Amino acid sequence: MPDGDRLTKPLTREPEKGGEDTGPTRPAVPKPDGGNELLRRMKKIDPDQAKRYRQRSGQ
Amino acid sequence: MCDNSPTGTDAPVGLILAGIETEYGFTVEGRGADDQIEDAVAFVRGYPGPCFVGWDYCYESPRADLRGFRLDRLAVDPEDAKRDAGRTYGAPHEVRSDRILPNGARFYNDHGHPEYATPECWSLKELELHDTAGQFVLLRAARVLADATGSTVSVYKNNTDFHGSSYGTHESYLVPREVGFDRLFAAVTPMLIARQILCGAGKVGSESGSRADYQLTARGDFFTESANAETLFRRPIFNTRDEPHALPQKWIRLHVISGDANMIPSCTRRKVGLVKLALMLELAGQAPRWSVSHPVRAFQALSRDETRAYRVALDGRNWTTAYEIVESYLAAAETVLDLDAELVSLIAECRALLHDLSGPFVLAPRAIDWAAKKLILDAYREESGASWRDPVLQAYDLEYHNIDPADGLYFALESMEQADPMPSLDERLARLDGAPERSRAYARGLAVARFRGELTRACWRSLTFLVDGEETEVDLPPDRTYPLQLETAANVGTFIQILRNA
Repeated sequence: MPDGDRLTKPLTREPEKGGEDTGPTRPAVPKPDGGNELLRRMKKIDPDQAKRYRQRSGQ
Repeated sequence: MCDNSPTGTDAPVGLILAGIETEYGFTVEGRGADDQIEDAVAFVRGYPGPCFVGWDYCYESPRADLRGFRLDRLAVDPEDAKRDAGRTYGAPHEVRSDRILPNGARFYNDHGHPEYATPECWSLKELELHDTAGQFVLLRAARVLADATGSTVSVYKNNTDFHGSSYGTHESYLVPREVGFDRLFAAVTPMLIARQILCGAGKVGSESGSRADYQLTARGDFFTESANAETLFRRPIFNTRDEPHALPQKWIRLHVISGDANMIPSCTRRKVGLVKLALMLELAGQAPRWSVSHPVRAFQALSRDETRAYRVALDGRNWTTAYEIVESYLAAAETVLDLDAELVSLIAECRALLHDLSGPFVLAPRAIDWAAKKLILDAYREESGASWRDPVLQAYDLEYHNIDPADGLYFALESMEQADPMPSLDERLARLDGAPERSRAYARGLAVARFRGELTRACWRSLTFLVDGEETEVDLPPDRTYPLQLETAANVGTFIQILRNA
């Protein structure tokens, strides 16, 4: 990552010097709940399914 | 004979006609990628609904470049070239097996993938409805193939096989020719890079470059250049293919190939809406200018940023964030454009999600595919202690995109009211029968529904009928609202007359 200025506005306006990173370092992830249809489906999935999944390249 | 002579009509101010083409991944039990072209042909041809066969290729120009030249040939994936060495599949139009449906959509085999190209739509809501209605087309065709072969057929609305092969979900936006490449590139590229935080589909792992546990986008690994006309290999962030699907002197079809296929319908709407805002601003001469120093690196760095800081390197060793890029378009749109209710709502939704991504992360898992999928994966990892290298995570990733409502993980989240819902069943089914907006897709669809016996060829920009032993081609200008009288035309002659007077 470059060490120049942080631009908070596009070039059509006066660029402003910015501050530090504001993004959080770790997502606060809520757990799925309610049921649970999701877990029922996940249990049916073959763990190696994606290993075998091969496709031709498309566009 | 293809006629490119101008007609001199003007586009309605502020409206941009758009469509989405999705190449679906699919598996047939006991078969593999070596069989994929034959299987895709059988898949498409098995579609049991009403359709017209006779796509007109005469206006297609995939090697034409917006920058004013034409490529000698298009690059192909070396792995597929090896697969195809010494093999022939038949005449190209037979292999493509195009079907045109009564809603004006195109359903065909594109490089071994069943592709559903929606009817062209003015509104975001209609496009979302048609995109989700397309999943019914795929499911119906898959059921026929499963019955015919006695094998399980699964269909995935995703963009990668996790082993280096990608297939696309493309967007088309019709804009006036005079805007030109330079302005389009400058106006749209920063948005194509930044919007992934609000509409990426998410992916476990990486398929090029440095290792990643989880990415915002499925497609980010496959871009190698900022701009070019390629789509199968050496793909760009900004595609320069100049194939307008309309009068070329007047129109450019911006062909966006850098987006992901979305399962959450609101994500599809947002993906298209953000590009529309960028285009509308540029047409007003007011699109923000961000000089992203290296679009490919910026796209890929954002895709791999798990901190949600989303920094973007700019020229002159400066930097900004994807938050600020998106917000600059939203703010400019509010200031400059005469926004309809749909776009006002889009801006409010995007602002709420930008705020959520920078902090609470409560709305995003309901509304953005990458975040919804990550919710599933994080919960599993926390429960099981699995590492990101556990192959089951990619299996869950794949099944998130399974379009069968009885199996797909997105549909499980939706049934648990933990992800934004699909449109109503009635609304989606109705879109299979017609295109209510009365864009040129409405006319095309009616021709298929009512006069396919007289139709000899059709494509995005024209219809050709056989009347009294003579072929008659009728142009479908994209800037018209087509009249309701087409639904009651007594015969094909009257239908053609109404089209010509539209």
